[in-house]
Amino acid sequence: MKSPTPVIQIENLSYAYGRAEAVHDLSLTVEPGRCYGIFGRNGAGKTTTIKCLLNLLRPQSGQVRVFGLDPAKHEVEVKRLLSYVPDQVAFYPWMSVRETLDYLASFRAQWNRQTEQELLERFQLDPAQRTGNLSKGQRTQVALVAAVCPETDLLVLDEPTSGLDPIVRREFIAAVIGAYQQGVPGKRTILVSTHLISEFEGLIDEFTLIDHGRTVLTLDADQARERYQKIRARFAQSPPEIDLRTALRVRRDGRELELIANGSGPELMERLREHNPESLTTESLTLEEIFVATLKS
Amino acid sequence: MILQINFKSGMPIYLQIVDQVRAAAASGALRPGEALPSIRPLAEELRVNRNTIAKAYTELESQGVIETLPGRGCFLKENQSALRKKARRELLIEHIDQVVVQAHHLQVPHDEFLELIRGRLDVLDDKRRAHENHKED
Repeated sequence: MKSPTPVIQIENLSYAYGRAEAVHDLSLTVEPGRCYGIFGRNGAGKTTTIKCLLNLLRPQSGQVRVFGLDPAKHEVEVKRLLSYVPDQVAFYPWMSVRETLDYLASFRAQWNRQTEQELLERFQLDPAQRTGNLSKGQRTQVALVAAVCPETDLLVLDEPTSGLDPIVRREFIAAVIGAYQQGVPGKRTILVSTHLISEFEGLIDEFTLIDHGRTVLTLDADQARERYQKIRARFAQSPPEIDLRTALRVRRDGRELELIANGSGPELMERLREHNPESLTTESLTLEEIFVATLKS
Repeated sequence: MILQINFKSGMPIYLQIVDQVRAAAASGALRPGEALPSIRPLAEELRVNRNTIAKAYTELESQGVIETLPGRGCFLKENQSALRKKARRELLIEHIDQVVVQAHHLQVPHDEFLELIRGRLDVLDDKRRAHENHKED
């Protein structure tokens, strides 16, 4: 069986602003129906990568494909198939929420009025309010309404929740799950770039961690949580000499040891057990902890 | 039935949901014929991908725990007695294993450990009896 065309395919993408290299030799593939996370610190190259997908920037080397199309050559087709919530939302400040949504809807072949109504109520947005008078959170909510209603196959979210309060962040994510993910299962694809990883933890199927424009790690989320473990051991006396080279990180404090393991958890547990620890516990790392452990090691 | 996801358990999210539904069925928190939450509100509440919930429900259906009635949703199947017994045992074994490991770390010998368990069962029985006597008074 031929696998379906990836929704996004980035191969060896590089982009520099003058001499400052933002993205270097980055590759990633997003299959249909997935929720894919691009994680990285501020300035890691997340937004630059996304801008190359949207033809807001032209790749300087490598190539990007969206639904198999080159966004530079097929800009209209690509934009018809996706919607986008940028990290800095800007509307015409003199337009009301109603006028803004009507204006944006006029560019779209399809616009779900019922979803629009539901979301406006959910976010308690006043359609008569001028967008210039909205808070940052409300502007992001309007941008999400505008991104969900056209019912595109791909939703691109660039740092959508940074700078928003926790309640608005939760509502935002619930709305993405509830309103955007409805429809044919396996068809709606999400690409989200963020450094607020824990917010999106349950939504993410697969992620790429980038740092200084380079891919550090690409993994399935469930597999990642299975592979990365934190192991704590306490011994009766100060810990004996144990070969812990396969650990990603080792912390010692008196009679206690704390290890971060990447795949070598069972083996390390076995080694520690041989020395009869007083206690030995293990837990998985969350995606955010994996992010921190990987970038700090 | 209230579900909770733990990202530190190392278990895939959909399997956590499968386990918790089975546990709810075993404990009576979910009764035969009762409806499971529908996918959208549950996904929103747990803030997990809808596909993950759908995958969990598909798995539960193939295990014969739930059935999908088209247009009406998912329901716990009648006649879960065999599963209930098995699921109850599995649930208990999980907890017992944790205590067994703890006993090992604390270097409590097997005899002493079993003696302790018997002792605790007696304490529980006494408490229950005292409670019943109290009610009769």
